[in-house]
Amino acid sequence: MRVEYINPFVESAYNVLREVLNSDVNRGELFLKSTAMPVLGVAAIVGLAGDVEGRVMFDMTRDTAIKIASAMLEAMDMEPISTLNDMGRATINELANMITGQAVTKLHELGFKFDLTPPAILSGENMEISDAGVEALIVPMEVPQGKIEINVAIRERN
Amino acid sequence: MKWNNGNDKQQPSASATGVASRGLRTLGFGFGRDDESREEIERIDFKMVTFSLAGKDYGIDIMKVKEIAKFERFTFVPNARPFVAGVYNLRGEIISIIDLRVMFNLPAEQHSDGTPQDGLILRLEDNLIGVIVDRIDRVVGISSESIQPPHPIFADINIGYISGVVEHEDRLYITLDVDRIFTKESEKARAVDQSRSVMETPPGEPIEEPARVTAPDEQQEFSFISEGLATFDKLYASAINQQWLQQRFEQWRQERSEVQKPIQFADEHDAAAFVRPFFSANSEQLWDRSYSEAVRAVLPHAETMVVNAWNPGCAKGHESYSLAAILSAYYSGKRVKIWAGDNDLLSISTAPNLILAEETVPAHMQEFTVGTANGVTFSAGIKEMILFEYHDIRHESGVPHAHIVVCRDLLSLLEPEVQQQVLTKFYETLVNGGVLIVGDNEQLDDDTRWQPLSDQVQAYCKV
Repeated sequence: MRVEYINPFVESAYNVLREVLNSDVNRGELFLKSTAMPVLGVAAIVGLAGDVEGRVMFDMTRDTAIKIASAMLEAMDMEPISTLNDMGRATINELANMITGQAVTKLHELGFKFDLTPPAILSGENMEISDAGVEALIVPMEVPQGKIEINVAIRERN
Repeated sequence: MKWNNGNDKQQPSASATGVASRGLRTLGFGFGRDDESREEIERIDFKMVTFSLAGKDYGIDIMKVKEIAKFERFTFVPNARPFVAGVYNLRGEIISIIDLRVMFNLPAEQHSDGTPQDGLILRLEDNLIGVIVDRIDRVVGISSESIQPPHPIFADINIGYISGVVEHEDRLYITLDVDRIFTKESEKARAVDQSRSVMETPPGEPIEEPARVTAPDEQQEFSFISEGLATFDKLYASAINQQWLQQRFEQWRQERSEVQKPIQFADEHDAAAFVRPFFSANSEQLWDRSYSEAVRAVLPHAETMVVNAWNPGCAKGHESYSLAAILSAYYSGKRVKIWAGDNDLLSISTAPNLILAEETVPAHMQEFTVGTANGVTFSAGIKEMILFEYHDIRHESGVPHAHIVVCRDLLSLLEPEVQQQVLTKFYETLVNGGVLIVGDNEQLDDDTRWQPLSDQVQAYCKV
């Protein structure tokens, strides 16, 4: 993956998570993967198209998703959730949108132009994701509610 | 003194075998310091990776060790035997991890959660297994003749698991027989029999050896060196670097005898010293005029308006910029694009904005650089030609087709089977007549695919 793309995603994930959860965020070692990867339980996927093509996935366990959504809702003086209902999914969607949106804005400033698709949420047991012909950058983020893996697979359009 | 104690314990064992002269001979080797001439003819033909368990030193035959590892975050397996620490994902392969201390009923050092633990990955007959130890020490080369039979005094560990005891630099190492340790329960009975027969004919068996080093010994030393390089992650021996390895081995043998050190590697520094001359000229710096001209002379003719090049293993990008400068001049009027990748995040992150000290830029490249506050950098025109990617060569690459592939010294750092896969990938990516440039000390001998082009640079044309 092009070096210039890495930092905007890492920085915006860090900033947005710290802001919406109002807590410390720890970034793990970045690494690359290209085989099929297990999905932890809840995944929000945002597609990218333009100078590049690919997608960004935010992957976490169901438990972490509920805790993060609750923390975000409580910060807005709303009721926390106990199961992953429509409100919970919408909240995770919003989180994915905020992080990807901020990263793409930074990339626009650097001269790379591309558009986003609305996030889609997948949830279930024993899921895997694989991307033909693209290697994925994994950015692990630790927050008090659990671990979020940000999985960025994008390539230059030839 | 530690050795004296060991000696007292060993002597009855040796004579108990009924061959007193053998015991004396073996001891003679152990006390080589008292007997200069004997020490000189002692041959290093057994290497072991040494480590400690509960404060004692142990060794495992290096041929059984696939790699030295740090284990962290392995997965606990419910209802497994107590010494099974869990399973571990070794680059996609799931292996079991055994805690040797628990297995041998030794006190385990307490680790706070999350600290990586020292361990070895062992290559058994039909599978890989990981073992956790207190601490990895180093690689020790010894003469197999100096290994003495095990003695029942070592009660910590079942005697059947010990293949011998050896003294090296005033330390006593217990050598473990890993194949026997990890045989299945059903085979235990047979293992005990074997251990008994090992007791009767210890590995210390003296055979009258000529003092002269014979060809098979050299072969063995050479294969130890190759294994050692792989163990220390320095280089993987294969047809690609065979010729250099053999020359370097001869040279190394001389260097080491001049400073009176053993040929085998004692530690990582020795392996690093061995491999240092391997790396090509102009590594981690801009290419000098003569290398640039040699590369220019082998560039293929391109009919298309777009010329693509691929530069995996570009590190901080010196190589990619040097190549860009040559290509932009040679293919003037055409659009040149270079895909440059490396899996070292720190190096590749600095590549797009590489700043150089002005005096390190060779005269023929100065026209492509511009000054900045801290030094010089390449002009926007050159930078636009190169796409720096965080990329692992083992994975899929986004490079479409290429006229030139520059991959210097990287192939030799990959496992032999990966080397072949990557070479095939290069072959498929190159256009007909495309050129592959490898490291100064690397060679491709498959003339059905690669035809050598030059004496000055290791360049091959796709056949």
